[in-house]
Amino acid sequence: MKNTRRRNRWIMGTFVGTAAIAVAIDHTRHRLPEPLPPQHSESAPNPSAVVIVDGDTDTPCSLETSPCSLEESPCSLDETTGAVDESPCSL
Amino acid sequence: MAGIFDLAQKSGARSCISIWGFAHLTPVGAKDFCNGVACMSISPATRYEPDVAIPALVGVSALALLLGHEVSGRQAVLLLIGAGLGVSLFQAAFGFSGGWRRFLRERRSAAIRAQILLAALVSLVFFPLLGGAVSGVSLHGAYAPVGISVLAGAFLFGIGMQLGGGCGSGTLFTVGGGHVGMLITLMFFVIGAVVGSIHLPWWTDLPSFGRISLLDSLGWPVALGLQLLALAALYRLVSGVEQRRFGGCESLVDAREKRPLLQRLVFGPWPVLWGALGLALLSLATLLVAGHPWSITFAFGLWGTKIWMALGGDISSWSYWSHGYAATALGRSVLADATSVMDIGIVLGAILAAGLAGRFAPAEVIRIRHILTAIAGGFLLGYGARLAFGCNIGGLLAGMVSGSLHGWLWLAAGFSGSIIGVHLRQRFGIDKPMDQTA
Repeated sequence: MKNTRRRNRWIMGTFVGTAAIAVAIDHTRHRLPEPLPPQHSESAPNPSAVVIVDGDTDTPCSLETSPCSLEESPCSLDETTGAVDESPCSL
Repeated sequence: MAGIFDLAQKSGARSCISIWGFAHLTPVGAKDFCNGVACMSISPATRYEPDVAIPALVGVSALALLLGHEVSGRQAVLLLIGAGLGVSLFQAAFGFSGGWRRFLRERRSAAIRAQILLAALVSLVFFPLLGGAVSGVSLHGAYAPVGISVLAGAFLFGIGMQLGGGCGSGTLFTVGGGHVGMLITLMFFVIGAVVGSIHLPWWTDLPSFGRISLLDSLGWPVALGLQLLALAALYRLVSGVEQRRFGGCESLVDAREKRPLLQRLVFGPWPVLWGALGLALLSLATLLVAGHPWSITFAFGLWGTKIWMALGGDISSWSYWSHGYAATALGRSVLADATSVMDIGIVLGAILAAGLAGRFAPAEVIRIRHILTAIAGGFLLGYGARLAFGCNIGGLLAGMVSGSLHGWLWLAAGFSGSIIGVHLRQRFGIDKPMDQTA
């Protein structure tokens, strides 16, 4: 019984580890924004430009690319869009 | 199964069959807790596994911090909500498939009554919120057409949840609990969801009555009244069936349990009523933070499609993934997808709960027939969920509590499919014939 349990733990550990690696690979493929073109201004760099990436972290209704972009439920047909296939979980 | 009983006798352990159909071996002296959904054996000797609980806690915390830094605070909160759902689901063994099967086979209704209570509690809050009673909030319910797609999808899902041994939420929390057999179900759940997304345009072209929202048609107060009446009638029906068979109904709280509240809360198991309350609160939190009801299976299709693409597969002809929300989700990190993050949270939360309860990775013996039914069940789960616009959570629960009629259609079709699934389990030798269980 102990051996079976130990084996199952190893299987689960391998599963969790593989899943974590897959998520990390996927995230690193998508997360990086387009690099900003170098600024050749003589003035000092504007510090506010640096924090734009994190600007939406304190609002519960936002994602990195478009604030309040989750207008549709992942499991619904949002007919306000007028097209069935614009629904995320429904096509 | 005889071999397992032999093995159990030789090793000095007892054997019992879990709600998922796999055989477990539990040490002699273990205490059985029956919470209305299933009997779980808990050995005081193996209680609390720090080598599981602590890494799970560290993992949840680290991932929440990473999400807050890399994506948004909202995603971090959704992960924590997901973890809370995983703990609630695991500690209360709040599974739809096991509960439905127990009602069909034994006429025990505690799990179904808890599910009805969950739907009623969530409806009480969702109907006013989605019906516009509170101004200034932008929330979206789960709406889908009342048609053949939902009918067929939920029916297939109902069969699949019995063969696969878990529903949408059940598959995730049992995987988190370390049931290796459920990894097969999950794998084919993902494959089924991908195939379902490819076929969905054909299914949605079939006849339907379109979206029918009780909130839009009747207004939220009348719709809520009707919903609660219907749920009360259902509650009365299932408890009446149990009463006729046994002369009384199982309690939703375990009155025999004498441990202090905090100890039960942390180490479990929970009465099924606690599970319903926890899930209701966290469903509300999901709506408020994510802006839409709790859903699970969209992420499975997303993961499968991402894996297919990573393997070099071509998805240019898959119209589902070419525009709208699905295309957006496909084009960004999986950590930016609310459903994926919550699903990851559910698994991590269940691992944490299993570690605290000392029940992680039970010594289950998986036979060939279990593998075959897990493959078939998992595929039907994924395919059915895609056609039905969600699983038992995103389609059934979210549909019902959003006032969408497709949720009720899902219930009827899914339960009918489960009746077939329960009979198939007997046919395949997973369960004993019903006359031997009475």
